Amino acid sequence: MRGSAEQRKWVLATTAPALLFLLVIAYLPIAYAVSLSFFKKTAFNPTMKWVGLANYQFIFEEPELWNAFWRSVVFTLGAVGLQLVWGLVSALLLNRAFKGLNQVRSLFVLPYLLPSIVVALVFQWLLSQEYGVVNQVLMQTGVVTRPINFFGGLGTAMWAVIGMAGWQYGSFATLLILARLQSINPKLYEAAAVSGAGTLRAFRDVTLPNLRTTLIVIALLRGIWMFNKFDSIWLVTHGGPLKAPRRCRSTPIVWPSRSSTSAWPPRPAP
Amino acid sequence: MSRLQRSGPLVLLLVVLVLVAFPFYWMLLTSVTPREALFRPPYRLFRLDFSLGNYRELLFATEFVRYFANSLIAAVGAIVLNVIAATLAGYGLTRFAFPGKKTFAFGTLFSYMFPPMLMAIPLYILFSALQMRNTYTGLILAHMAISLPLNIWLMWQYFQIVPLSLEEAAWTSGASRLAALRQVCLPSARPGILSVAIFSFALSWNDFTFAFLLQTDRKMFTLPVGLASFVEQTGVHWGMVMAAAVLVSVPTFLLVFFLQRYLLSGLRTAG
Repeated sequence: MRGSAEQRKWVLATTAPALLFLLVIAYLPIAYAVSLSFFKKTAFNPTMKWVGLANYQFIFEEPELWNAFWRSVVFTLGAVGLQLVWGLVSALLLNRAFKGLNQVRSLFVLPYLLPSIVVALVFQWLLSQEYGVVNQVLMQTGVVTRPINFFGGLGTAMWAVIGMAGWQYGSFATLLILARLQSINPKLYEAAAVSGAGTLRAFRDVTLPNLRTTLIVIALLRGIWMFNKFDSIWLVTHGGPLKAPRRCRSTPIVWPSRSSTSAWPPRPAP
Repeated sequence: MSRLQRSGPLVLLLVVLVLVAFPFYWMLLTSVTPREALFRPPYRLFRLDFSLGNYRELLFATEFVRYFANSLIAAVGAIVLNVIAATLAGYGLTRFAFPGKKTFAFGTLFSYMFPPMLMAIPLYILFSALQMRNTYTGLILAHMAISLPLNIWLMWQYFQIVPLSLEEAAWTSGASRLAALRQVCLPSARPGILSVAIFSFALSWNDFTFAFLLQTDRKMFTLPVGLASFVEQTGVHWGMVMAAAVLVSVPTFLLVFFLQRYLLSGLRTAG
């Protein structure tokens, strides 16, 4: 081994850049945000004043925070649930050898990697009340008599956003589940068939137990990421259906951007 | 087996494929539909009177090209800095034992779980104080905040499968550590470095949250922020907006069709 002084130099040279970046752009802002939360500072009184937990008391007593929190829970559960169901169904359907499987798999990767802005724009266009092709088809087939204002309606905005998140992120589940399905030993299915199990039985006793870990991992990761979601929701609803009361619907992540006094874009006082 | 039982899954598969593919199809079709036709619903689901008018308008009558350049500059900057920092860190983490290594690794993964919004607001305040809002440097740094943790982790994993014996062979033939790193280690880590570049690009290219908060000057808008502003104007020109959506997606399409192998290996860890 080389001398330890040289080794120290190497350790420093290789890890310092990454460490510095992480500290300055990830940890410092978070620490700053946490420390600011104990102070009071407004545009009219720009000196920092220690207020302890008063800010927390203020927001915990703010009903809108709790409304936003529960909406986040509904959105997360709905979106993750939809992604799991979509992932499971599509992966089971794709789990067979057929010509063009690779192309189809590529198609499934696409929504997941698209920029959120593209997905948001395309869904706003598809679901538009005046010009949306979805409303057009629903009208022509007689499912509805009046076009639905999907992203703007109080009763539909949440479901439209969940559907959009399902389309965009469901393929993440599809790909992980498909990879796991293909690694299940086919002998297990043969054994199940020999002992007289039908398709449903084999699914319950062979497929599901093998998928358990994968499904839990997907639910956890996607759960965290959906709970933090800002861009997709903001882009299609601007924190709440148009013309709805200001304090009407948004999630905690979107909420701060809506609760400032002026119109968007609200800028925190520097 | 009855006919229904055999064709059932096939029909379902077709439904699933249509659900996945239709938004892409409609985006493409709208982007080449003449403007007049878009103002006259109902629409036909198939049409052949293609026109490139929407694209022409997008490129020559809007700031699209400027937004494109801004996005590209931010992405290239993020790639370069990420590759340097993550490759060095991956090498250091796998080749040396040093105090605090575990903390470093844990801290990296932990910061990957930070909600972007929680970093974006304090970064806005800090960058305001440092006059770094509406600069490329600020945006590139902000984009590193979302991609660097994942990239360090990727390179750390990758260097573990680059055998140490290769380097040792180079040392015994008299090469210095730096020479061994450059001539032996880096070439065999090339697929890992490529994944880092791809992910840095994708996260920077797709970012809306940071660019939206930090780049308030119209001249500094990136593509996602610029596109969002198209829709806020009254009387949205959907044909042009879909043309923009198509052009913004082109890098994604290229990545998926040419580099799927690398993407799938890193997918499990991507946001």
